[in-house]
Amino acid sequence: MSFRRRLLVMFALTVLVSVAPVALIVSTMARRALDRANDERTVALVAQFRREFNRRGGEVARRIQAIVAAPETNRMTVAAAKPSPDYSPFLDDAQVLADAQRLDYLELADDHGTIISSAQWPAKFGYIETLIKPGLPSGPFLKHEETPSGAELGLFVVHAIPVAEHKIFVIGGLRLDQSFLASIDLPAGMRALLYENLDYASDRFVREHLIGASGSPHDPMAFAPIVQQVLRGGKEATSIVESDNGEESVDAIPLTGDDNQVLGVLLVGSSRQIYAELRNQIRSAALLAAGSGLVLAILLSSWLSARVTRPVEKLARAAHEVAAGNWNAHVEVFTGDEIGQLADTFNRMTGELLQQQDRLVQAERVAAWRELARRLGHELKNPLFPLQLTVENLIRSRELGQQEFHETFRESSTTLLAEISHLKTIVSRFSDFARMPQPQFQRVELKELLENVAKVYQAQLSKSNISCEVTTSGSIAADPDLLHRALSNLILNAIDAMPQGGTLRVSASSEQHSARFEVSDTGKGLTSDESARLFTPYYTSKSGGTGLGLAIVQSIVSDHGGRISVRSELGKGTTFIIELPSNAEKLSSAWSART
Amino acid sequence: MRRCCSISLAISLLYAVALGESRPHYGGTLRVAVKEAPASIDPGGTAGASFLASFVFETLVRLDDRGMPQPHLATSWQAESGDQRWRIFLRSGVTFSDAARLDAATVAASLRAANADWKVMAAGDAVIIETASPRPALPAELALMSNAVARHENAKAIGTGPFLISQFDPGKHLSLKANDQYWNGRPFLDAVEIELGKNYREQSALFDLGKTDVIEIAPENIHRAEAAGRTVLSSRPFALMALAFAEPPKSADESHARNALAMSIDRTAINHVVVQDGGEPTGALLPNWLSGYGFVFPAGKNSEAARREKLLARRVTPWTLRYDAGDPVSRVIAERIQLNVRDVGLTIQLAISGASDLNLLEISPLSADARVQLRELASALGLPAPKLAGSSAADLYAAEKALLETQQVIPLLHLKSAVSVRANVHRWNSSASGEWRVEDVWLSAEKP
Repeated sequence: MSFRRRLLVMFALTVLVSVAPVALIVSTMARRALDRANDERTVALVAQFRREFNRRGGEVARRIQAIVAAPETNRMTVAAAKPSPDYSPFLDDAQVLADAQRLDYLELADDHGTIISSAQWPAKFGYIETLIKPGLPSGPFLKHEETPSGAELGLFVVHAIPVAEHKIFVIGGLRLDQSFLASIDLPAGMRALLYENLDYASDRFVREHLIGASGSPHDPMAFAPIVQQVLRGGKEATSIVESDNGEESVDAIPLTGDDNQVLGVLLVGSSRQIYAELRNQIRSAALLAAGSGLVLAILLSSWLSARVTRPVEKLARAAHEVAAGNWNAHVEVFTGDEIGQLADTFNRMTGELLQQQDRLVQAERVAAWRELARRLGHELKNPLFPLQLTVENLIRSRELGQQEFHETFRESSTTLLAEISHLKTIVSRFSDFARMPQPQFQRVELKELLENVAKVYQAQLSKSNISCEVTTSGSIAADPDLLHRALSNLILNAIDAMPQGGTLRVSASSEQHSARFEVSDTGKGLTSDESARLFTPYYTSKSGGTGLGLAIVQSIVSDHGGRISVRSELGKGTTFIIELPSNAEKLSSAWSART
Repeated sequence: MRRCCSISLAISLLYAVALGESRPHYGGTLRVAVKEAPASIDPGGTAGASFLASFVFETLVRLDDRGMPQPHLATSWQAESGDQRWRIFLRSGVTFSDAARLDAATVAASLRAANADWKVMAAGDAVIIETASPRPALPAELALMSNAVARHENAKAIGTGPFLISQFDPGKHLSLKANDQYWNGRPFLDAVEIELGKNYREQSALFDLGKTDVIEIAPENIHRAEAAGRTVLSSRPFALMALAFAEPPKSADESHARNALAMSIDRTAINHVVVQDGGEPTGALLPNWLSGYGFVFPAGKNSEAARREKLLARRVTPWTLRYDAGDPVSRVIAERIQLNVRDVGLTIQLAISGASDLNLLEISPLSADARVQLRELASALGLPAPKLAGSSAADLYAAEKALLETQQVIPLLHLKSAVSVRANVHRWNSSASGEWRVEDVWLSAEKP
């Protein structure tokens, strides 16, 4: 990761670490405040519902009072006062009175509890109403009422009418059903549900027993846990319910009868949708602010990091250039801070390096000239001395007889020609080194190449008592003449290294992208100092060498894009290793150039 | 017959005197509202004979209040071949409302159409009826309105009755006008306008508004109507209210359960409170006043015995009881039965439509002859025809007992039928089986 990116990430993380807790704290505080407000609203609404419930009870009581005062009831009381009252004429009266007073339930019973007339179940006349017993509830109460279609939950009021020493009981009520729930005014976002617990023996939740003002809720099972909690504990409970109506805060109130049995559960649901939306808005705003801050921070960080890292990057690029050999690299300095000082130092360093390089080049050039002069001197001095002696001998032979002069002249001429030839050879070698041609790439079968090279030196190897082992395979793209020349040099060096005979091993192998040549001898080996200087031009460890052989090899290898190395051990021998690339692309380009 | 007419005239006169009118006079239109809404008045129609058919069509025989056959279109009858062949002598001088003479061939054709298993032949002024088995009650059967004589011409039924149809809107309205050629003398009324398909409440409303002169009164409202000062004429308890099973019991368990059901029902409470004593509890198909032995069949509630029977029924599936949803009294009775059977551990579910195990039925009486009525009841209940070994009360009892022992019917009540007539309606009369006889009815000027 670049310095700029690292700096950018650090800036961004710093901003994120700063902004995220703030956003979290704001969001949490907002949620708590909204939850508190929602709870308070629910409590207020539940209280309102309770008041409404009580108001309904009072309404039932007023209607019962009206029934008590009705003529039908009066006739019934008159009949009840008789010794053997006949209640058959009053069969329909309860229905008539209930219709008039808009009551869902109405029963009239005598002081034995015998039903005289029933609105909800007219056929129940003569049966006993178990409610009629000492300790009747004085106010509104809840009760399960049996009807032909099953048990129902109702809000009841009972009133006793004294008739001489007897009583007539009026038991009326309203059904706690869908219409009852619908008739209660509830604010928007609130709803009331009623669960009728028609089976006391079990706390099993029966989905059909849960009703709302607009019918059964679509997802009644969502309320099962809180309903069962209330049925088991008999206490009010509050829970958050996720239903088809969205998220709701549900307050479950047990509806108990006169024997404290839970007859039903009233569920007051307050939609949390508004609060959820508000909370989501706050959360969204917080996230938006955090996100925007983060983006802004990233942008600013990018700008800042770019501003901070630009000189460093320039320095890095300049350093890269220097590393690549361009010592002329220069960094502009705009600031006077540490980075500016670093750039100034860098510029001064490169300047110093350039000067040192110039000095080094000059020194090397001088050294090279000196070495060349030394080598040339040395090389030229050797043939010059015989030339000098031969010429001096020839001059002296002028003073001898004609016969002797001619003999001397012939011998001297031969010597002179030989030495001149030697001089020409020396000059030719230097000239060849200077005129090393560029390789002409073509497909070279390694086996054929090595066999040709070995064949050239077969006689010399036999003469020197050197056995030769050649192993080879594959092919390579290379200049066969140059490669032949390089290998010949290495083989000659190996022959020279084994004056007492030995073993010469030449191997070549190619892989997909490279080829490897090894030329090993079993000579006396090289010292580490000799190994280090081996490829220096004009350096030779041999008495008659020009020091150009390995330099030529290195030049050829270099021109082929490869490298040469030496591995030597004193007393055991030396191995030259040439590693060449396959140069397949040069083969195709060479083909294109020819066509 | 003459004596019977004299008695009838005497009663009518007494009734007229009681109402302050001494002499009948012709004219006027009688307005009637009824619950029935027949699609046809033809006694041979597919829907069965309507009681309204008696306005237009007449039978060869009529039954008196004691159920005894009396001559009407027939003057006499004679049994031959051990009650398997009957010779019916027709009254002469009788004409249809289109002035065609009543002859034996027309009567034979009418009877053949109504009784496919009878062999009916015209023989001079008489009609000979041959049956596959002895039918000692055949004269009483001839009094059924389904055996009324009708002549069909151009797909129109023509009768010999005191009135003829002037306009008929099936199910809604029936207009009748006096048959001036009526063989027994033109009726006093010029016309009768009958509103069809009116329930008891609608009839009462029409009566209170002065838009009708005669209405039907539900059994449970008879006492109320009387208490309200209306003139109410009611019959003896005759219509049968019963629970009818769709199928016979399939197991001993079900047989015990049906016994428990029959014994658990509090018929007395139903009659006294729900029907307001508009009938009488019964365990028999025929009313006691008709058969004389009806009291033998237990009608009281016996919870203990019912529980014992229930215990014998180890596996009982709940029954479905269907009742007439349009009749609130039927609903209360059905609910009461539901409560009663629950007390002994049985379960009945109520239904107002669809298939059911049980039906709460009310079967109107058809004949004042016990044998014929029993046969008609068995037919209406889908029971096999009763096998009467003879004409004695013991034979009738055995036949009825056999029907009850099929456990396909549980009699509950015999209900009265009643009408309320306006004060200006005189000589209103009906047969024991509920047929209205309006040929002698006359209207006086209504007092303001």
